[in-house]
Amino acid sequence: MTFEPKIIAFLCTWCSYTGADTAGIARIKSPANLRAIRVPCSGRVSPELVMRAFDQGADGVLVLGCHIGECHYDTGNHRAAKRLPILHALLTFAGLEPERFRLDWVSASEGERFSHIASKFTDEVRKLGPAHWKMEADRRVELEDAFARERENIPFPVTSCAAKTDAIRGKARELLESGQVGCVIGYEISPRGRTRPAFVVQAEDTDLLVWNPDCTHNLAVYLPARLRSKSPQKTSPAVALVAKPCDSRAINVQLAENLYRREKVHVIGVTCEGLRDVQGNMLSRCTTCQEAAPVVCDTLIGGDTSGFIPRVTSCCEEMIAELEGSSPAGRMEFWLSQFDRCTRCYACRQACPLCNCPTCLYERDDSTWVGLGIGLNEKRTFHLGRAYHLAGRCVDCDACERACPVNIPIGLLNRKLADEIEKSFGFRAGLAVAPSPIVTILSGEYKEE
Amino acid sequence: MSRPQGSPNRKLITQEGLNSWLDELAVTRSLIAPRLAAGVPLYQRVAGSNEIAWGISRTVLSVKQAFFPPNERLLTIRKNGQAIQLEETVPEEAQIVFGVRPCEARGVRLLDALFLDTPPADPYYASRRENTVLIGLACREMGPTCFCNSVGGAPNEAGDVDVMLYEVNDGYVLEDVTDKGRSLTVDLGLDVYDYDPHVYRYESHYEVVSPLTIKWPGLFEHEYWQKMSERCLSCRACAYVCPTCRCFAIRDESIGTGEFERLRCWDSCAGENYRLLAGGHKARPEKGDRLRNRMFCKFHFYAEQTGLGNISACTGCGRCIDVCPVGVDITEVLADLGRQP
Repeated sequence: MTFEPKIIAFLCTWCSYTGADTAGIARIKSPANLRAIRVPCSGRVSPELVMRAFDQGADGVLVLGCHIGECHYDTGNHRAAKRLPILHALLTFAGLEPERFRLDWVSASEGERFSHIASKFTDEVRKLGPAHWKMEADRRVELEDAFARERENIPFPVTSCAAKTDAIRGKARELLESGQVGCVIGYEISPRGRTRPAFVVQAEDTDLLVWNPDCTHNLAVYLPARLRSKSPQKTSPAVALVAKPCDSRAINVQLAENLYRREKVHVIGVTCEGLRDVQGNMLSRCTTCQEAAPVVCDTLIGGDTSGFIPRVTSCCEEMIAELEGSSPAGRMEFWLSQFDRCTRCYACRQACPLCNCPTCLYERDDSTWVGLGIGLNEKRTFHLGRAYHLAGRCVDCDACERACPVNIPIGLLNRKLADEIEKSFGFRAGLAVAPSPIVTILSGEYKEE
Repeated sequence: MSRPQGSPNRKLITQEGLNSWLDELAVTRSLIAPRLAAGVPLYQRVAGSNEIAWGISRTVLSVKQAFFPPNERLLTIRKNGQAIQLEETVPEEAQIVFGVRPCEARGVRLLDALFLDTPPADPYYASRRENTVLIGLACREMGPTCFCNSVGGAPNEAGDVDVMLYEVNDGYVLEDVTDKGRSLTVDLGLDVYDYDPHVYRYESHYEVVSPLTIKWPGLFEHEYWQKMSERCLSCRACAYVCPTCRCFAIRDESIGTGEFERLRCWDSCAGENYRLLAGGHKARPEKGDRLRNRMFCKFHFYAEQTGLGNISACTGCGRCIDVCPVGVDITEVLADLGRQP
C-alpha cells in the first residue's frame, strides 16, 4: 500500500473553498487527502494554526486564498502573503521539507486550478513520505558532529571605561536631583564582582553606576512594566535608562508599539565598542554589530565612534549558511538536539525587551497552542513560535541567548528571520520608530497616545 | 556521621576499575551521569563510562530530574464508549546515577521529606527512588559560587548517597554507605584502604551568612523584597536548576484518537501565573512577592511544613547564582537580611 499523506488545507470561504466546490461540480478529479478547513479569509490563517497542524501530525499544509487584489476584505490576503512566506522560511530552517507547506491563490471559478494545485501538492508530499515533525515522547537526540563547531574567539581589547562611567554617574545625578526622572536604570557591580542591572532612585547612590565591557543586559526589558500606568489617574514617573546601540533599537520598537510615551524615558545612550563574554572574548553578537552609536538618545556618552570597526561576517552567519546548506533532516536533528536541553524556564522570553505580551501565547492555561509539557514538541513549538513573533521586531541583541542556562543558540532563529525580513521588506527592526512590516496595523489601532 | 579512620567500608578503586564497573552496571540498568550535551554538562543517560564528562564541577541541572523529571506522564486516559479507562504509568526502570555531588544528594533527602515522608507518598517519585542507586562523588574543592558548608552540608558528606567516591592520587576511595550500595560493590573484590575524608579542609571562596541566624517570620513585610527584586526577570531558571525546588503543574491533554494523558511538569513560583486563581486573581502579583516566597520557602516554610525542624532547604550548590541572567544572588540576600536588626 502506498503512503497516503494527511494534508490540512485552509481554504478561504470566498474563493478557494468555492473553487473546490467548482472542481467538484465540474467533476474534476482532486485528491482525497485534503482535510479542508473553511476560513473566512487566508489572512485568518495565523502561523500558529499552521504550526499546530504540523505538531498534531499533518504531513502537509496547504493555504489557498484569493488572488491579490481580489480579497473580499480588500487586504486580508496581503496579510497571508506577508506572514506565511516568513513562516515557511522559519519552518524550513527548523528542518521541515519546504515542499510540505504551500501558500497559493485560487479564485471561486478556478476549479481546474484548485484541482491542479491540490494534486501537485499531494503528489509532492506523497513522494516525501510521512512527516517526522511530531516527536515520540522520550526521544533524545545526539548532536550531529557536522554542526558541533568551535566558536571563533576574538579576545576583547582592553578599553578604558572610566570616562564613560563618570559621565553616566554625572548625568544620573543631575537627572535625579532635578527630579526629571524617578529612577535611573543602569549597571552596577554586585558584591560578587559581577556586572548586573541597577536601579538608582537617590542622587547620592549614583556612584554605584558603572560602565564596562560586561554591561551585556538589555535594560530596555524593564521599561514596559515600569512605565505602563496602572490607572489612568496615576502616571508613573519618568525613568532614565543607560542604553547601548542595540538596546536603543529595542526602545524604538517598544515606542512603535505604543508601550509607553517617548517623554517617559530619558535615554542615556552610550557608544559601544562591543562587549565580552565570561571568558573574556568578544560576544558573537558584537562581531556583527553595525551600530556604534545609539539610534535614539537624549544624552550621548562617549561621542567618538571612530574606533569602531563593523564586521560583516561572524560564526553566527557561517552557522546559518551551513545549516541552510544541510539537508532538512540534518537541520531538524540540529534543532532538536538543541531544544532537547530546554526546560521551558522562559529565561529567554523574560530577558527579551520585546517579549511583552501580558500572557504569553505559549503559557496559556488552556493548552490551545501548545501543551503544558516540557517535551521536545512543546519546546520546539515555543521556540519557533517565539522566533516568529519576533520577526521584524527582534533587534539581535541576543539577550535571550545569554540568558539561556543551557546555551541554546536561539539567536540563530531570530537572525535568520531578520535576514528574511530584510530581504523581503528592506526593513531592519528598531532603526526608526516603525512597527514590524509583517504586522498589519489598522489605521484606528495605531495612534499616538 | 563520621566513621572511624580505616573504616572497612572504604576501599581503593582505580580509574580503570571504576570505568569497567560503570560499564558493567550500564549493561543491566540505565546509567545516568554528567555528560556534555553540546558543551553543556547535564545529567543524561550514557552508554558507558567513555561518555561521562569527568572533571566537571557540577551539572547545570541538578540530580532531582532523575526522580522528578521535568515532564512525566502520570496516567493515560482512554475513552471506550461510555466507559473511561485509566492506566497508571509508574516508572519501573532500574537506574544508577553516577557523579552526584553531596549538595545535590542532600537535596534528594529534602525532596524525600515531601514526596515520601509526607502522606500521601508520591508513587512516581517513590518508585524512581526505590529503583535508583546514587553514586556520589566528593568535591575536590569548593566552586566559586558554592556554599554548602554554610547551610549545614559539606563537600565530602556521604550521608545521602548509596556509594561514595573520593578522588585520591591513585584513583578513588570507594565507600559503601547503604546496603543498596554494598550489594553493587561487594563483587568488586577491592582492598580496604586507610583513608579519612574528614582530614581534608575545604576553603570557601565567599563568606556566607547562615540562614539559621536570621529571624525569618519578622522579615515578611519588609520593604527589602520590593527593592531587591527590581532586577528579577521572573524567569524560572533559578527554580529549575535548584536541587530542592519541586513545584509542579498537572494537566490533562489530548494525545489524539480519543486518548488523553495526565501530565506532570515542573512549575515555579517565579512565574507570574503561578497560583493563578479563577477570576484572574494572582496570588503574588509583584516580583518582590515571588522572590520573597522563594527565599522563605528555602529557609523557613519548607522545613517547617515537612517537619524537618530548623534546617535550610537550600543546599548551597550555587546553581541559581550561576544561571541568574541578572545577578540575583541568594547569598547576597542572606547577607542583607543578616544585617537587619
